[in-house]
Amino acid sequence: MSHHHVSFKDLPEGGEKFEVAKASKMVSTLAGIGGIGLLGSAYFFFSDIASFSYSWLFATFVAFTIVAGGCFWILLHNASNSGWGVTVRRLFENLGMLALPLCVLCLPLLIPDVQTHLWEWMNHHRAAAAEAAHLGNGATTLSVLHHMTVANPHLHVLSEKYGYLNITFWYVRFFFYFAILGFMAWKLRKEFLDQEKDGSMKHTVAARQWSCVMLFPFALTITFAAVDWVMGLDYSWFSTMWGVYIFAGSAWSSMALMLLIVSYLKSIGYLQQVVTDEHYHLMGKLLFTFTVFWAYIAFSQYFLIWYANIPEETRWYLIRNTGNWQVVSILIVLGHFIAPFVLLLSQPRKKNVKMICAVAIWVLLMHFVDLWWNIIPERGPSLGKGVSIPGAWIGDVFAFCAVFGTLGFIYFRTLGKNSLYAWRDPRLMESVNVRN
Amino acid sequence: MSTTLKRVHGYLAEFDSVKDLYHAAEHVRDAGYKRWDTHTPFPVHGMDGAMGLSRSKLPWLVFFGGITGTTTAFLLEYITQAVIYRTIVQAKPATIMSLPAWFPVMFELTILFSAFTTLFGLLAIIGLPRWNHPLFTSKRFGKFSDDGLFVCIEARDPKFSQEGTKTFLEGIGAKNIELVEDDI
Repeated sequence: MSHHHVSFKDLPEGGEKFEVAKASKMVSTLAGIGGIGLLGSAYFFFSDIASFSYSWLFATFVAFTIVAGGCFWILLHNASNSGWGVTVRRLFENLGMLALPLCVLCLPLLIPDVQTHLWEWMNHHRAAAAEAAHLGNGATTLSVLHHMTVANPHLHVLSEKYGYLNITFWYVRFFFYFAILGFMAWKLRKEFLDQEKDGSMKHTVAARQWSCVMLFPFALTITFAAVDWVMGLDYSWFSTMWGVYIFAGSAWSSMALMLLIVSYLKSIGYLQQVVTDEHYHLMGKLLFTFTVFWAYIAFSQYFLIWYANIPEETRWYLIRNTGNWQVVSILIVLGHFIAPFVLLLSQPRKKNVKMICAVAIWVLLMHFVDLWWNIIPERGPSLGKGVSIPGAWIGDVFAFCAVFGTLGFIYFRTLGKNSLYAWRDPRLMESVNVRN
Repeated sequence: MSTTLKRVHGYLAEFDSVKDLYHAAEHVRDAGYKRWDTHTPFPVHGMDGAMGLSRSKLPWLVFFGGITGTTTAFLLEYITQAVIYRTIVQAKPATIMSLPAWFPVMFELTILFSAFTTLFGLLAIIGLPRWNHPLFTSKRFGKFSDDGLFVCIEARDPKFSQEGTKTFLEGIGAKNIELVEDDI
């Protein structure tokens, strides 16, 4: 009953402009973290490139899922013609806009010296290509791969998968993913920025149409980026639920990050009138939805592989369900699903800012652990150094700080260019006064 | 000459617009009435707040209903698969270690029991099914499913009085105030 109706006249003309000076502590902290991370990662790049490769893949892939999640929430909001989130949508758009800086941060993954440690299939392909060039006489990478199968039957799967899994196509896809994410974030943001100039409804309609069009390329992007970068760590392993699994964590974690960003902006005096506890409740409900969705997908993937018991599939779970990794596996079951599920069940807890922020921090942490558990167990066995490499986690922390410090810095530095919310959106007042 | 005994159910008052009804509800709430309700042909957003209704107890019922479902399924499967009739399938252990195989049933029964608790808990809380309701003796009340907006303050409310409540309803702008009486 504390609600009182806000009218358009109560809101500032031109929306709210974010001033970096007000967030100087946050921005300088992020810059510091990013700087230290970059220095540390550079050291690891030159001293231990094998371990660095995995650290960097982990950090950039976590960032990729969160940025892609930002794009997803814009698409969903526009495509489903929603009104409630107009006041927070711009923040998601800015998150999606990080696709291009992230692409720059991902460039080390294009270096063959890094790839050689991550994606074993590329080594076989490169060996086959070199052999084909040496043989000449119409020999191709594929034909040589086919011959190599005689000596090493494991490679049979590579010659069978050649149509998708070849180096040229891999590079094309790499840029396709960032182009798709970058374009959708830019295009949809631009429609609403243009709307702030002329106030026309047609931009809302155009954004809706574009969002529907982009949903399919988005699904391809998140699915195949996950396949290429993480599932490809072990070229013989496959799971048809893999893309959905990554997507579920992606949407989940970016919603949690958004809860934190909104709370931070409110704590330094922004969005006071336009974001209420009703928005927290709505965002908390979506966070809850994806908690359950992730668990459903994660269990289904485990269940099918456990039941079928096919060696090339179970290998993936075997290395994660033995030794110390099993502790992490159990932590994920409890911490990624059960704890947030119980905490997010009740409505008052979703409306309590401190509570929901604590849950959001936990959710982000669990998302990091989830992807760490997905990527890092491959490091020891792939590099021939046993189950895990002592001290290698330091490189993971540096890489993580480098990527998140840099992207966070860029996020806040570019946040002030436009209003924090779409102040001339026709549904603005519906969102400001939303009740649910 | 009829000598049928009647019982007073309460006052039924009609309002012209949703806005009037909404504010009337706030007045009734603030006057401290507990046994009363509003009747409209469509949901009115925010009416629960205007009426001062507290949160429903239903989520708690559903929560425990769901837990009962999970437990039922687990016991059903554990007792049959691992205790009474150990069934070895594909060399999987017939112990608690086969828990993943039981999850689908645990999941489904959680949902089934939650759904049943939601439906039957709701019916129990709102007092359905019942044969009749005293309000149906009012001729005008039929409009509640067409274009009528009503407030009904029941006689069993401690603050109810035949004169005082009528004056109160007149004061908050009610039209067609009717004392609803039901055959015993």
